[in-house]
Amino acid sequence: MEMAAPQVLMIVGALLFGIGVIGFLTRRNMIVMFLSTEIMFQGVLTNLVGMGLLRGDLNGQALGIFVLVIAAVEAGLGLAIVVMLYRRRGTLDADGWRTMRG
Amino acid sequence: MKLVRNADPTICVACRGEWKNVIENLVYIVYAATALGAVALFVGLPRGDKPQRNGLLFICMALAAGVSYFLFDAILGSSDGKLPLIVLSLLSIGGALRMVTHPQPVYSALYFILVILATTAILVLCGAEFLGFALAMVYAGAILVTYVFVLMLSQQSTLHSDAFTQGFDYDREAREPFWAVAAGSLLAATVGAVIVERDWGGIEQVSVEGGENTVALGRILMTQYAISVELAAVLLMVAMIGAIAVARKHIPHAEDLTRRRPLGAAGREAKPY
Repeated sequence: MEMAAPQVLMIVGALLFGIGVIGFLTRRNMIVMFLSTEIMFQGVLTNLVGMGLLRGDLNGQALGIFVLVIAAVEAGLGLAIVVMLYRRRGTLDADGWRTMRG
Repeated sequence: MKLVRNADPTICVACRGEWKNVIENLVYIVYAATALGAVALFVGLPRGDKPQRNGLLFICMALAAGVSYFLFDAILGSSDGKLPLIVLSLLSIGGALRMVTHPQPVYSALYFILVILATTAILVLCGAEFLGFALAMVYAGAILVTYVFVLMLSQQSTLHSDAFTQGFDYDREAREPFWAVAAGSLLAATVGAVIVERDWGGIEQVSVEGGENTVALGRILMTQYAISVELAAVLLMVAMIGAIAVARKHIPHAEDLTRRRPLGAAGREAKPY
């Protein structure tokens, strides 16, 4: 299968990353904020695969696997923190933690 | 795995001279698509008690999808089998838009699965099968289940309450929608314009025949990236232990209670009759 897809992949990656940034900034629910970071990971991964196709080797996809690992780690730790915060405050609202500002 | 360097010049308009004429228009198309998407996001973000303007949201999303279709169509030129790729790209971006704007977090998670599956299909189309299927398994299979678990554990609302019918108030009100949308869409528009504008030179195509992608990827992971793979495994284990340590509930054992009591104080705290 041959297709000149790298640029489309990279544009999709950029758009997904932008949407993820917007979601992270606007949503107040901590879980949706973490979902938005996952969307950003998606964008980076798509971009890496596109770049790899552009180079013509598999380095991009190998890096994509590591992005996957980091995303899994982030999800696990992030959700653990969310659960801990929820136990203390009883809400998922990120604004419930305003007192943490320095 | 064999590399085909510019097998057919017509498959990629970007590689040839005629590209230069198209570029300027394409950049504006990128800007237009991002602006329409930004308007859709701005309209669609939940705003407190005001009803969500879904009609306007879908009109803007449809317009953005049309413009993006034109953009992808121009980039892909006359390569065969481009329609599925374009449709899946639009599906992925649309799902991401809806995920960010939906006031119910569970629906956000479901739209996230849509994004994952569309991206998986795109990767498979582009010859990255292993990564695609790993993505579907890890994200849609494992991570999303964890998210939904945490959601259901922590967002319980009683039936017929306000939160049940309309969602929690912090889900119904976005924080600083205008500036966030402006920042994010500016970022996406700039990156997209750079990607479109740059002449990426000859595109080398990895031609993949059945299953060869997995073999080649496994080989590169086990040779060139061997140490990184081991480190990733260590990282996963450390993260697992860390997550357990962070999220565990401290329940004192009976032994702890008895041990903490000083010697000779056994019956002191008993109330006198």
